[in-house]
Amino acid sequence: MSFDFRVFLGESYDGTSQEVDELLRRMDALSIEMALTCPFRPLSCDLDQANRDLAEEIKDHTDRLIGAVRVDPWQPDAIVSLRNGLEKLGLCALYLNPWEENFRADIERLDKLMEVAAQFNIPVLVATGFPWLSEALQVRTLASRWPNVPVVMTNGGQINISGLGQADVTLAMQQHSNLYIDTAGIYRQDFIEETVEEFGGERVLFASGSPYFDQRYEIKRVQLAKVNENKRRAIISGNACRLLNLENCLDVSETKK
Amino acid sequence: MIIDSHTHVDLVEAWGWMDPPELMLELMDEAEVDQAIIMTYRDAIGPDDPATLYIQDAVKKYPERFIGYVRINPTAPGAIEALDQAIGDYKMKGLKLHPVSYVGFPYGEPTLRLMRRAAQYNAPVLFHTGDEALALPEQVAEAARLVPEAKVIMAHLGGYYHHEAVLEIADTLPNVLVDTSASPYPWMIKRAVDAFGVERVLYASDGPGCPPILEVEKVRLSGLIPVEQELVFAGNVQRILDGVRHEL
Repeated sequence: MSFDFRVFLGESYDGTSQEVDELLRRMDALSIEMALTCPFRPLSCDLDQANRDLAEEIKDHTDRLIGAVRVDPWQPDAIVSLRNGLEKLGLCALYLNPWEENFRADIERLDKLMEVAAQFNIPVLVATGFPWLSEALQVRTLASRWPNVPVVMTNGGQINISGLGQADVTLAMQQHSNLYIDTAGIYRQDFIEETVEEFGGERVLFASGSPYFDQRYEIKRVQLAKVNENKRRAIISGNACRLLNLENCLDVSETKK
Repeated sequence: MIIDSHTHVDLVEAWGWMDPPELMLELMDEAEVDQAIIMTYRDAIGPDDPATLYIQDAVKKYPERFIGYVRINPTAPGAIEALDQAIGDYKMKGLKLHPVSYVGFPYGEPTLRLMRRAAQYNAPVLFHTGDEALALPEQVAEAARLVPEAKVIMAHLGGYYHHEAVLEIADTLPNVLVDTSASPYPWMIKRAVDAFGVERVLYASDGPGCPPILEVEKVRLSGLIPVEQELVFAGNVQRILDGVRHEL
């Protein structure tokens, strides 16, 4: 059982796109059973529409695809958008992208959204590692205010090919047990191994970030990591199921009912 | 035949990067890599620098597997002498520069001076190149433009967000090559081959942090045909190494 904790569906303002059939074909080729899908930021910047489109796209594949609500915290109705996504569209995570929506990951304006995330017991994914906006220690500040909300830092918590942000990621995770990382595009694969060694296998999640990253290559990061098989299983699927409250990932449609 | 053209062997407790030669050998064996170019994380500041001696010891211990590059801080007073000793006396094959670690502009005169010296040996100059200030492809390209006689290798294919900047210099700077290390994008290797020509693309892992077994797989996923893979994996870097002189 493999669960890709972050892929994108739809079409981005930057021209990147991925359709559901395309995604499922890729997943089939790699024996990836399930994925958490996030909307791209569309050219219209209308994230409510992007959330509705995502829900529509995945509705016939609920046994394999789960959706995250993407919210722009600057929008006056951001809370309504999140609630609609969770209550009406059946989405079950919150995706925040400080870089593309232009906000700092530690602003208090996010607290209303985090409060909803806490109420619904959903994980919050934060696009992490972007300079000025979502460095690991900024995400830490957000996570510190909401200790009961799992906060997943994407890309191993830093996007820097020197790896100079990794010490901050480790520090943040030492201080707040509700912080997690996903593995998409991670620099220095031994960072996965070291993080698992220090924190156990429960705080690392396999994610490809497809189509920005190559799902074929990204799954190999985890398959080839030098961790024991129990921990690898947790990274590849178990942690995703736990954070998304899917008691039995192999029969998600039943669980969702 | 696979030659990994960018790996690290060093012990730097302050950064938590404790990577002895034997670790690199183990990872090379796992990936069936025949030889690796090794360099430190630290920058040497003059002759007999412990960093350079560490590489020299590893090459002496495993001469069939390792080839040495010297990593130098160009702003140090002994930089030229450090290079002369490494290439002239220790028969190392190249110069590694990491402008972020030595905090200097790639196109600053100290760096250019050292590049000119490396060019006299016909030795390649491998630059850490990525998304951060002091190591942007545009900055490294400026250094390559100012020292056209130097063979400049840009590592990491532009990192996460600067790959387009790397591709754009392919036509204008024939003295620039690229290595595949640590880039998260298999497709970028094919684009680099299309832009630079296959002779100017080198396989590298940036191991041991980025393990060769994964980095080799990236090249295999990139869509290159077998004859291109052979050049990228070994032929291109072998040609460069064969051209290095050890006397001025």
